Amino acid sequence: MSVETTVNGEPEEQIETEWTEYGFGGDAAFSVRDLDVYYDDDRALRSIDIDIPEESVTALIGPSGCGKSTFLRCLNRMNDRIRAARIEGSVAFRDRDIYGTDVDLVELRRRIGMVFQQPNPFPKSIRDNIAYGPRKHGDINTGLLSRLLGGDDREREEELVERCLRGAALWEEVSDRLDDNALGLSGGQQQRLCIARALAVDPEVILMDEPASALDPIATSKIEDLVEDLAEEYTVVIVTHNMQQAARISDQTAVFLTGGHLVEYGDTDQIFENPQSQRVEDYITGKFG
Amino acid sequence: MSASHASSATIEDDRSGVARSAATTAVGLSVLTMLLAVANVLNWITTDASVASVALSTLYGVALAVAGVVTVAVGLLSASAVIDANANDTSGVLSGLPVGLLALSVVGLVASQTLGYGVAIWAPAALVCAVAAFLFGSLAREDLTATLPWGGFALFVAAVLLAGVITPSWTWDPRHLGVALTGTITVPCLAFAASLATAWAAAKATQGFGARGRQAGAYLLIGANALFMLSLLVLLVAFVVEKGAGHALRGIHLGPGLSVHVPFVMNGAGLGYDIDGVFPAIVGTFWLVFGALVFAVPLGVGAAVFLAEYAERGRFTTVVDIATDGLWSTPSIVYGLFGYAFILPRLSPGGRPNVLAGMLVLGFMLIPLVLITSREAIDSVPDAYRDASVALGVGRWETIRSVVLPAAVPGVITGIILGVGRIAGETAPIILVAAGGLNADPIRVIHGFRFTSSPPFVANDALLSATNALPYQVYAVIETGVGGSESFGWASAFVLLLVVLCFYAVGIATRMYFQRKLER
Repeated sequence: MSVETTVNGEPEEQIETEWTEYGFGGDAAFSVRDLDVYYDDDRALRSIDIDIPEESVTALIGPSGCGKSTFLRCLNRMNDRIRAARIEGSVAFRDRDIYGTDVDLVELRRRIGMVFQQPNPFPKSIRDNIAYGPRKHGDINTGLLSRLLGGDDREREEELVERCLRGAALWEEVSDRLDDNALGLSGGQQQRLCIARALAVDPEVILMDEPASALDPIATSKIEDLVEDLAEEYTVVIVTHNMQQAARISDQTAVFLTGGHLVEYGDTDQIFENPQSQRVEDYITGKFG
Repeated sequence: MSASHASSATIEDDRSGVARSAATTAVGLSVLTMLLAVANVLNWITTDASVASVALSTLYGVALAVAGVVTVAVGLLSASAVIDANANDTSGVLSGLPVGLLALSVVGLVASQTLGYGVAIWAPAALVCAVAAFLFGSLAREDLTATLPWGGFALFVAAVLLAGVITPSWTWDPRHLGVALTGTITVPCLAFAASLATAWAAAKATQGFGARGRQAGAYLLIGANALFMLSLLVLLVAFVVEKGAGHALRGIHLGPGLSVHVPFVMNGAGLGYDIDGVFPAIVGTFWLVFGALVFAVPLGVGAAVFLAEYAERGRFTTVVDIATDGLWSTPSIVYGLFGYAFILPRLSPGGRPNVLAGMLVLGFMLIPLVLITSREAIDSVPDAYRDASVALGVGRWETIRSVVLPAAVPGVITGIILGVGRIAGETAPIILVAAGGLNADPIRVIHGFRFTSSPPFVANDALLSATNALPYQVYAVIETGVGGSESFGWASAFVLLLVVLCFYAVGIATRMYFQRKLER
């Protein structure tokens, strides 16, 4: 199958189906079939078919407005929060359709964590930020009632906070001020805190929407190192517009181009060294986009 | 405007420098005149007084004449390119309108009142002059329109004052108006208006007109406006304090022990007291406001949460918006009548006024404001917080409760502060539903609770009895002469001011506490 795309009425190159076929050993975390997303009448994604492997870093790259963030937000149904959005097709997580009727959204989002473009810690203490999710899920009880009943989990909370902060490479910097407000941290620290907060609910997948685009180079490189470490335990899907970043940290790369098409998907080295699509090559070498 | 030769440019620069310092002097002189006029209106200086053996109106006249001459001169010199300026070639309608209005009022007043022409003459004359002035003000060079009318007005006022046309003993009693203007108030008002005009014009001249000149003029006007507003507030408070503080603090003494006894604040009114006091009214106001808050805050905040977080934007929310705005601007007497006709008969036999009805009616009045401000506050919580919480798998209500509402609390409290300020001073509904005249004893709400053996198992007679409240007391004493002297009323007003300030202080402290929690 091949799709003809047009830009400004000019016929563009055909997208060959084999460009987006990527064979990998092991199971797929996500299997997306024929996914279309509309915002009112605008079609943001067109017939996306993609399998995303477990415990690796998958980068989604492409120019602004190509639908890569929209795609990411389909994976944990955050698009449901946008009223104008309409989603067609299927997204399976571990072979279960997440758009099915019997899906528990709370459970889904607990298993599929998300880190946003702008660091968005709550205006609470560092400790409260990390413990927020587990407390709300009832995994940790520190309330007055549980203290009276003898089920005080504060020690477990301490362990959890330390483990998550270490996991996000932030422990050394904040261990002596866990009760300070998170808004007092630098942008890079805030973003790592958000990662730690996502780790605290013990997710299986972490989705990242341009997590370093609002940060300076040093903070960016810390996030990049962290992403590579996280991939040993978690499935990471990361949207980025920084191609060097995608090349450095990802195992496989999906290239979205204007109009909401997935044009090419494969091993990162192959995509960056020997892309099959002329348009992808132009985009990667900076000729357009 | 710019010179062709370097030497003449230096001379021009020198001249411009002199002109600008003259304009600065004119601004200073005008501001001093303005302050003097304000002090005059406030009766700190009387109009027939003299400063350094010069009569006040002569002083105004001289100052205005100097400022006016400087303003006009700078404008003419700038227009004839003697001094450097960057004025626009035309001024625009916005500049023409005030000039036209000035001409309309001055010519109209002079022709009709001073020269005594009939309406057939003065009205067309004023209109023609106004249109001419409007055209001049719109089309002429900016440095002319900014200075000539206003400097001219100042010179006119100066001439009127110096020639003794309007003196402190002058009165004007227009036949068809029910008011009589006296010289004692007209002289300072004229001086104020004229000096404001020259200050504005001269401020523009100090920066050589153009964009920077307009900026300087606007700065002066806005500064004067802010100062005026602030002084109005200070004046109001000072007036009440001056009138009321003396009586309120009468008989104050220490003891026994370390306690302070302020009879006016701590006594009731009646035969048993040497100095009648307003303690029952203070307690009444406190309970009324407290009850209204208990009733209105949960309802208002709850409705705000529903509208901001759950309801789809549509026809329903639009109707609710209109309804809340309408309720907020409904006159309080309407609420009072509603309480009188609807609530009273259902709460007590015979429809006697009672505290509970007062709480409910004030609560109804408070709900719209709490709703509007809480909704604003909730809407302004960044979506990033909601996204973050939802992405952690936390449900909608939990997200609202743990993230959105805490972040919105300072805004909600601001709304409550504003609302309390309104209801604490509300008189009309209290007259109708809660007031019961001057009491010797405060209502005892807490002691009033008792348990009963039949449903509803708890009763409170105090809530169903009438009470006094500070605003009602002020009204009753000053307007209808109930229970004592006028100074008693002023002292009540003073105490009311203090009580409202106390509510504010509590509200602001709470807001600061929550804000600090969000920030550090």
